[in-house]
Amino acid sequence: MKALTANRLIDGEVVFWSQGRWVEHFGDAELFDAEAPAEAAATGAKAQPNVVIDPYLIDIEQGEAGPAPISYRERLRALGPSNTPQHGKQAEGGAEVAAILAAHGAARSSGRVNLIKRK
Amino acid sequence: MYQYDAIDREFLTDRANEFRHQVARRLSGELTEDQFKPLRLMNGLYLQLHAYMLRVAIPYGTLNPRQLRRLAWIARTYDKGYGHFTTRTNLQFHWIKLKDAPDILDALAEVDLHAIQTSGNCIRNTTADPRAGATAEEIDDPRVWAEAIRQWSTLHPEFSFLPRKFKIAITAAAKDRTAAKLHDIGLMLRRSRDGALGFEVIVGGGMGRTPHVGPTIKEHLPVGRLLSYLEAVLRVYNRHGRRDNIYKARIKILVAALGAEEFGRQVEEEWAKIDAAQVDLPDVELARIRGFFAPPAFDVLPRVSAAFEEAKSKDADFARFARNNVQPHKQAGYAIVDVSLKRPGDTPGDATAEQMEVVADLAERYGFGDIRITHEQNLVLPHIRLDDLPVVHAALQAAGLATANINLVSDIIACPGLDYCALANARAIPIAQSIAERFAEPDRAEAVGELKIKISGCINACGHHHVGHIGILGVDKKGEEFYQLTLGGSGAEDAEVGKMLGPALPAGRVAEAVDQLVEVYLRERQEGERFLDTFRRAGVAPFKEAVYAEAD
Ligand code: SF4
Repeated sequence: MKALTANRLIDGEVVFWSQGRWVEHFGDAELFDAEAPAEAAATGAKAQPNVVIDPYLIDIEQGEAGPAPISYRERLRALGPSNTPQHGKQAEGGAEVAAILAAHGAARSSGRVNLIKRK
Repeated sequence: MYQYDAIDREFLTDRANEFRHQVARRLSGELTEDQFKPLRLMNGLYLQLHAYMLRVAIPYGTLNPRQLRRLAWIARTYDKGYGHFTTRTNLQFHWIKLKDAPDILDALAEVDLHAIQTSGNCIRNTTADPRAGATAEEIDDPRVWAEAIRQWSTLHPEFSFLPRKFKIAITAAAKDRTAAKLHDIGLMLRRSRDGALGFEVIVGGGMGRTPHVGPTIKEHLPVGRLLSYLEAVLRVYNRHGRRDNIYKARIKILVAALGAEEFGRQVEEEWAKIDAAQVDLPDVELARIRGFFAPPAFDVLPRVSAAFEEAKSKDADFARFARNNVQPHKQAGYAIVDVSLKRPGDTPGDATAEQMEVVADLAERYGFGDIRITHEQNLVLPHIRLDDLPVVHAALQAAGLATANINLVSDIIACPGLDYCALANARAIPIAQSIAERFAEPDRAEAVGELKIKISGCINACGHHHVGHIGILGVDKKGEEFYQLTLGGSGAEDAEVGKMLGPALPAGRVAEAVDQLVEVYLRERQEGERFLDTFRRAGVAPFKEAVYAEAD
């Protein structure tokens, strides 16, 4: 499974793609089971360079508590910094946050790999 | 401290205005991200994991109360109520919105602050001894020279697009509190045998992927020739630095490739060609700058303060604070006070807006309005009367700023790591917290004595792990956070790059491993030895055995 993520230009907020628009919560993100629609969404997102910066696809795993990014970095992006649970989206709590916190997957983050490549 | 004049102020206002237009053009789509990114970086604005980060320059780590209060106001108004002091003695705001950045730059400019040259391949903020002007150990005030360097390097057209970023440190004390030997250029003020003031010039130190302790290329540079000599060093670097490979672009690689002697020879050759009169500071200008750093109007006081002595004997917390956070001052009846931003459980280097305001108030009421930032992510009130220490301590204590742990095991440097930084492999802050909490019992921390732990979330080494007595580097093992330990590093006058202990450890093992290392030290140490000394004498074997024994 995949999701499409980026940072919003105007404020840097972490956002996810959902049916043609950007949403702030991972719980509202569109999850793609197949490659083709995921790639199509990524192409569409790249055509919005004045809305978001550097969109990229991330891998998602269906855990017992719900879906969550496989990469630790992407879980941190979806939640907020682990040293300040009162900051970021994790502060709002709920099932979506619980599912991400419960996830244990490990994978290199495509976001970081892209960033290093560009450097 | 140095005061901006009307031209400086006008320039800052113009520059903030220019950025306001650039942001507007970006938001309207007139500028692409590729066009805009270098512009925002020139104004210290990075994009991190959760938001933009604004890095504010704090020239040689010196602030006045008005500036610190403004930083607190920005933290409260545009961020989440706190700021993060870095190993470059700058301040980072981690939750900035692009649309607010122009207003923030305006607010900074009003108090003579900015974010220029906090990013990019230019000469960055100079690090200076945080005890400058207060310690009896120094032979001159390094801030005078740091200010001269600031003026010379600010918007220097020739050095605005170097092969890579460039960092200078300066100290005038034998005890180095700036990590001078790990900077692109380290300047150590010394007196020659005939009493003349000069700089020992160290070039090509650095951390990151390829750590180097910098070699000395000039034993004694007459102080008046500083700027022309720096210009010569930068020219040689600008000409021959490896622009083709980002990993080889720092001056340390060039110096290592050429050898210190040959590099020094090329600098001399270049130096001879420079019209020194155009570059070196005229004596009148030097005197003008020096005037800004004249000592404050100290009172004539006895060496011993009854109030201070009494508080020490009556209040054990205060006595501990006096032992660890209070340093001798060159002026009788005064002391240098270290304000720890390392309360166990807190994020190293973070200060809340309220804490910033408390420190600003104390500096104003009791400390001649002088505040310093250390590269170890703490604050300093450099001029406090011994008589006032009990009330200053009480105010710090009420604000959670009186942790008596300077240079102890819980006084840990940690970069923002994967909690904030887009380049990180692993988190640094929670590791620091887990170690500090393990050693939160102050008697135990004091019994262990000086022990510098430094943690970086990736090989860029913003957390100075290479020069930690215990260094900790976050690595990515197939997407999991692991930590590589090094031992025996030092960023001080006895600078050395730490040696690898063994295979990287999972996050859950790091605090325990530090505990095991400390136990080996306590067992092996001889009279008067710090952790570092014991390691240097006993070698890595007993430490390695303690940490990896079970695994075998
Ligand atoms: S050391 Fe790496 S992770 Fe830490 S702040 Fe620097 S770049 Fe980021």
